Amino acid sequence: MEKLIKVAINDFRLVFRDNSLKFFFIFPLLNLFVVHYGVPFAVENFPLLEDFKMVIVMSITTQGSLIFGFIYSMVLIDEKDTNVAKVYGILPISKFWFVIFRLITPFLYSVLASILILLVEPFYNIPLVENILYSVQTGLVAPMMVLFVAIMAKNKIEGMSWQKLFNIPVTMPLLAFLIPVYLSYLFAIFPTYWAYQGFNKIILGENFLIFLFVSFVYSILVIALFARRFTKLHFQ
Amino acid sequence: MIIVTNLTYTYPKSTETVLKNLNFEIEKGEIFGFLGPSGAGKSTTQKVLYKILNDFEGGISVIGKALNDWGNEYFEKIGVSFELPNHYLKLTAKENLELFASFYPQESIRNFDGLFEIVGLEESINQRVEEYSKGMKMRLNYIRAIMHDPDILFFDEPTAGLDPINAQKIKKHIVHLKNQGKTIFVTTHDMTTADEICDRVSFIVDGEIRLTDEPAFLKNKHGKHTVKVELENSQTAEFPVEDLGNNAKFLDFIKKGEILRINTQEATLEEVFIKVTGTQLQE
Repeated sequence: MEKLIKVAINDFRLVFRDNSLKFFFIFPLLNLFVVHYGVPFAVENFPLLEDFKMVIVMSITTQGSLIFGFIYSMVLIDEKDTNVAKVYGILPISKFWFVIFRLITPFLYSVLASILILLVEPFYNIPLVENILYSVQTGLVAPMMVLFVAIMAKNKIEGMSWQKLFNIPVTMPLLAFLIPVYLSYLFAIFPTYWAYQGFNKIILGENFLIFLFVSFVYSILVIALFARRFTKLHFQ
Repeated sequence: MIIVTNLTYTYPKSTETVLKNLNFEIEKGEIFGFLGPSGAGKSTTQKVLYKILNDFEGGISVIGKALNDWGNEYFEKIGVSFELPNHYLKLTAKENLELFASFYPQESIRNFDGLFEIVGLEESINQRVEEYSKGMKMRLNYIRAIMHDPDILFFDEPTAGLDPINAQKIKKHIVHLKNQGKTIFVTTHDMTTADEICDRVSFIVDGEIRLTDEPAFLKNKHGKHTVKVELENSQTAEFPVEDLGNNAKFLDFIKKGEILRINTQEATLEEVFIKVTGTQLQE
């Protein structure tokens, strides 16, 4: 555990000593202002948005994960670029578990960001337990993104492109709320579909657990799959 | 300490075999050198031995145990100095070492101040690595490889990018480690380094070992058994080494003027390499 804390502190240092990365930490904070002041203002002035406020709030809950996912994927790409990854390849540690533990920090940041968003949004009174259970799902987007971008990108520039591409499957399931129900099931292939449906059920006061459970299991499977691939590529 | 039998390796998705039936042994307390041009398979061999590349064919035994049977504890027993610098540039040198040291049993970690002193970086210990020159980064590579006091060391081009003074420091320290009983595997295309520090060397070309022996023996075997005498008046002559003290012509010659130099005409390691492999080392 001590080793992992050391790595987490080190990652934090790396991000905060990189001027281009530490800048991104502002965005999750900005999201709090947007959801607390910006969205209510917009809904009040543009009544058309009333029907979309749930989709907007859900979208903002995943923004934090996408930002932290991006920041930490850049750390891993830089590690590969500078060949530091090779050093981890010869350390007396399990590479797979090292990767998994390394993803805990962006996951926790993302969960926290989502919890705060749902605490300050003014539209729904979501109980804390439901808030945490849903935020864990959105938090899992960050490790998925870290691994996906780090697997696909050869350098930071490519990383930015892959990050944009990754946004699509994360946000696309929001469309499920805007189209006929029978078509919305098409988005079930994306893990976030299940999280968003769970959120909808929370709002409606219906049984949400099955959706969040599927979201959790599906996300963990995707992360494990990505982590296996990443472990094979990263340390050589 | 290390026994390699019929080692063959092909990179995934490649059809070209890069290591072809390599056989060699490295004794405990020995400095063993792999010499060859770029792309000969030197670094690949090391990567197989430090378990970055798996799926090799043949047998490898390290400290009496098959390489594939070693778990993560293997990495506590080895130290690797990579060919190119690889550090977190935004961290200081000390922060870099502290981070990687945290993964090893703490009782094995050597004093950092002492390590930095060995390579003359004591003044730059708290400097960010991004401010380091290439040579400084290479020296940091070196101390990271030895900081946990491993039994086996892999050095890939250990003096590359270093100025002569620091290269000398590193070479002396490698010999010091050998004297402490460490087993050292060096890959290099720098013949001088190999000649100075290696107990035995293998010549590797196109993934094949062409020859393995002691540098002194090779130079002697492939050189001329003569001494060349050069006088201050520019006269030169060569004489057989055998029974030189009783060679009347030699004795007469050295009386003809002040001796500028007398050299044995043994081959250099590079000449031996070229002769044996038909390949140039420096590319």
